[in-house]
Amino acid sequence: MQKAYKILAHTIAGLVTIQAAVMVFAVAGLFYWIEEDEGFLDKGVIEGWDADPPTWMGAIGVPIHGMSGMFLIPLLGLVLLIISFFAGVRGGTKWAGIVLGLIVVQVALGLFAHGAPALGLLHGINAFLLFYAAISAGRAAKTTSVDEPAMVG
Amino acid sequence: MTKRRYLVGVLATLAIVGPLAYLWQQSRMPGTYNVMDMGYVDHGGGPTTGGHHAADVSVDDLRVQDDREGDVTFVLTAREERFELASGRSVNGFTVNGTSPGPTITARVGELVEVTLRNENVPAGVTIHWHGIDVPNSQDGVAGITQDAVRTGEEHVYRFVAEQVGTYWYHSHQVSHRQVVRGLLGAVIVLPAEPDDRLDVTALAHTYGGVRTINGEEGAVTVPATSGQVTRVRVINTDNGRIPVWSGSPYKVLAVDGYDVNEPTTVNGKLYAVPAGGRVDLEVVAPARVQIGGSTALVVGEDSEPVRQPRDTVDLLSYGSPAELPFEAGATDRDFDYRIGRRPGFVDGVPGFWWSINGHLWPDIPMFTVEEGDVVRFRIKNSSGEIHPMHLHGHHAVVLSRNGEEATGSPWWVDSLDVEDGEEYEIAFLADNPGLWADHCHNLNHAAEGLIAHLMYAGVTTPYELGDDSGNEPD
Repeated sequence: MQKAYKILAHTIAGLVTIQAAVMVFAVAGLFYWIEEDEGFLDKGVIEGWDADPPTWMGAIGVPIHGMSGMFLIPLLGLVLLIISFFAGVRGGTKWAGIVLGLIVVQVALGLFAHGAPALGLLHGINAFLLFYAAISAGRAAKTTSVDEPAMVG
Repeated sequence: MTKRRYLVGVLATLAIVGPLAYLWQQSRMPGTYNVMDMGYVDHGGGPTTGGHHAADVSVDDLRVQDDREGDVTFVLTAREERFELASGRSVNGFTVNGTSPGPTITARVGELVEVTLRNENVPAGVTIHWHGIDVPNSQDGVAGITQDAVRTGEEHVYRFVAEQVGTYWYHSHQVSHRQVVRGLLGAVIVLPAEPDDRLDVTALAHTYGGVRTINGEEGAVTVPATSGQVTRVRVINTDNGRIPVWSGSPYKVLAVDGYDVNEPTTVNGKLYAVPAGGRVDLEVVAPARVQIGGSTALVVGEDSEPVRQPRDTVDLLSYGSPAELPFEAGATDRDFDYRIGRRPGFVDGVPGFWWSINGHLWPDIPMFTVEEGDVVRFRIKNSSGEIHPMHLHGHHAVVLSRNGEEATGSPWWVDSLDVEDGEEYEIAFLADNPGLWADHCHNLNHAAEGLIAHLMYAGVTTPYELGDDSGNEPD
């Protein structure tokens, strides 16, 4: 269980890194598309992306960011919290709770940033906090243990 | 680990997973279901009579008389394929008679239009919805509500009288968030009985793979015209988001969503925002360049340099002159709220941050119930954080007010109305077209995400079914 906790925590940290990477890939590709390929962007174009994605390099970053951020990472955060109940990691539940809480905040900031772009600043900063919390959770599993791993009578 | 810790862990897990599992289970839809069994009935303060009784009318019976022959007939064949746009760009998508946009359906007012839809190879099935045309309910083309989706190798005949002059369009209403975006659509033009002197140009805007086109062409599309020639430009927005339209030349807004504007005035230096699904007829005098979004333009006559997108927008709330309405909008029989919000939850088993209607998530949403002859008022309030182009099938509504400010211009008739975040519109219409009608967001992604309610006339029933096992997926 400790190992599962550790792997999961590090996986979340890794996914946060990928989230940042694919988003920058998407934005860089978007600017390239507009500047070099004379692409054009407005509401009508954006809203067609889901069913008919544009062909610019990096466009795939947008759905990856959305799917991973809205579904995969929250799911892993939830599983991490549940595993923490059984993993016997000192401070494990606390760290898992912090990770899940930061994930919830991150998703909310990402969604509300559509209507209030300044929240995007907090979305970026919170990503670092989430990364730090996930790494800390993984480290807690590496260094400490509350008690013996097996259930005793 | 002690037994006590283990037990606490199990209880904590159940406390987290239990409610989530319950909500997930509750949100799941059966394999087949009838739209009439969805959500809860909202009578809008009117009488609660009607419902199921012996005199129920099926949507199938709401049609034009069978013995009248079609005045204009078309065969539309739908295919899923890789094809070339008029611009030469190759895309994967859907075609009608081998092209996208499909052929334009043109009729004169009063003519009976008969269209045979054939599905050659679209595995998901197809339908045709006549966007903005108030057809009899059986001809509305919504899979699972007014017909079954037309399967591969099958065909379906639509018949309706072109009663309202104007600019409209047709599109599939089966898996529409995919089929429309990928091209299963075309224009419908209903001409007046007496020909108009103006040069008549249709500019159907659609985005394929992130590239905006006008009638399938990219960039500036030129229409030959002599200097001074008065031109009607019919702009049709078939995308999921609004498209700004502007010109360096003066223009008039002749018609909106198929309804003439009363005494339109000349507009200078303003843009017109066409809602998703909406249409506008503009009058320009050649030479004129009508910019349709940033990347495409319709050039009438000799080309000119593009002008920057204006900041100011034509406000139809005060554009044109007032005129009498065909019903007493102040004396309503039904008053409905259509409050659009957003909240976390499950829709058909899928977790997400979903659109809500009056605080509820699909399918637990209101079924707006009316009787024929009712004057109906809707208060559409959007606090969801995003704009929603709301589209009511089978009716045209007149805008009464926006954010409490009363309309003072020409009667502003709509079938597709942009409601921005934070806005509240009051609209009214006469319930004069019995049936079961979708009333949804025409950002088709949003409709597929549950931003779709229905208007139901008392005593009207449908034999068609929705659900994963039904083969019908209208949005």
